[in-house]
Amino acid sequence: MRAVGRKAALFRWNDDPSLLAGAAAIVLPGGFSYQDRIRAGVVAAKDRVMDTIGELASAGIPVLGICNGAQVLVESGFIPGIHWERVDLALAPNVMADRAGYYCAWTHLRAEKSACLWTGAFAPEEIVPVPIAHAEGRFVADDAAILEEMERAGQVALRYCTVRGEIDPSFPVNPNGSVGNIAGVCNPAGNVLAMMPHPERASWLRQVPEDLDGPWGRRRRAAAGEATRMEEEGPGRRFFASIPAGKGGSR
Amino acid sequence: MKTVVELWVRLKVVDLVAGTAWMTLTEKLDFGDSLRGLVRYSYWRMEAEGASAGAVVDAIDRAVRLDSAFTNQNKHLYRLRETGGAGAGDLAVEEDYPVRATGGGELRAVDLLVREKRPESEAAYAARLGERLEDVRILSMTAGEVWRIIVSAADDAAAVGLAERMAVTRSRREGLLLNPHYQRHEIVAVGPVVRKEGDR
Repeated sequence: MRAVGRKAALFRWNDDPSLLAGAAAIVLPGGFSYQDRIRAGVVAAKDRVMDTIGELASAGIPVLGICNGAQVLVESGFIPGIHWERVDLALAPNVMADRAGYYCAWTHLRAEKSACLWTGAFAPEEIVPVPIAHAEGRFVADDAAILEEMERAGQVALRYCTVRGEIDPSFPVNPNGSVGNIAGVCNPAGNVLAMMPHPERASWLRQVPEDLDGPWGRRRRAAAGEATRMEEEGPGRRFFASIPAGKGGSR
Repeated sequence: MKTVVELWVRLKVVDLVAGTAWMTLTEKLDFGDSLRGLVRYSYWRMEAEGASAGAVVDAIDRAVRLDSAFTNQNKHLYRLRETGGAGAGDLAVEEDYPVRATGGGELRAVDLLVREKRPESEAAYAARLGERLEDVRILSMTAGEVWRIIVSAADDAAAVGLAERMAVTRSRREGLLLNPHYQRHEIVAVGPVVRKEGDR
């Protein structure tokens, strides 16, 4: 957030929730809340701080959940948020060809046409390389009507795709078996986004791997050996730049 | 001979997952008055074919002792037994009920099995175990996690109702132990807790 000129402050889950008042946006980062006990994100979803985050989200404050943060938002029922606080989705264990468990790799995302605030800085169908690192990232819903409603309402903000933007459901393009290659889902209002990939790990050009396919890989190779260029913007930074500048954090 | 065998595995050290589930159910959800105990088991139920029921149990016992996908004797206790059939859990054979509190009402235990809806992981367990067996063939495999949920309830139906409310995550404020979008549950057993002398 600081890299895009926003004032940012760390807020611990067990801090006084009233300190969140005045926040212009909230990011629930990746991590390992409660060591993924029982199911990734489910225990944190019951924490008191999520009452406050839910209230702020309902009031239109932008909320981004990355990886474990996304799992918390899904288990909270804030995503997809068609029925507020009802758990209408899961981020289930990865399903991958010939392997199981944790998977860490760079993926390509296609920014879909949606009302999502957090992808507002991307052109429609722009291809954005961002890494993933998770074991439970497979978007799935038991009720097909929920998926249909998400699609109809433009809540699918991000899909895994090839470097050319094709939606290929097979591994590794779809790295976890997500239905519809879904990588990120926003709420109907567009201010809350749950995404499994890590844009903060793609915020500087130096974070892009040398062997990445596509224009971002070429840009990274061209910058090799030039320290100043390596500090330039990476592909993930615009998720954070999408949020209008507000009053900043309250702390 | 076809034989149904159950394998129950639990930690012999403190189970932090069960402890976190207990804390969440009693302190963050509304089950502080009704939940009295919680134990977590890894659970496999398999139908197998061999020369005799005893031969099947012995062969599977040798196999699961050697494979950390099933048991690790540094940290696990396990029980392997022939059962009368699918779902024939037997609460009476359990040696400990870690009941946290007494108080009014009859205590009942509900064994609630959580499984993934996709069958692939169960098939993988069957294949893995089958590789270690020579004269025994695995015909079917059920695998998951059993939560032994001990509640204060007037009868079995009420106990099952409470356990399912604790388990099935319907909303942020309802359910914890499984997400029905990719998991399912079944009641393996329910019945009164048999308190032994010396229990609290």
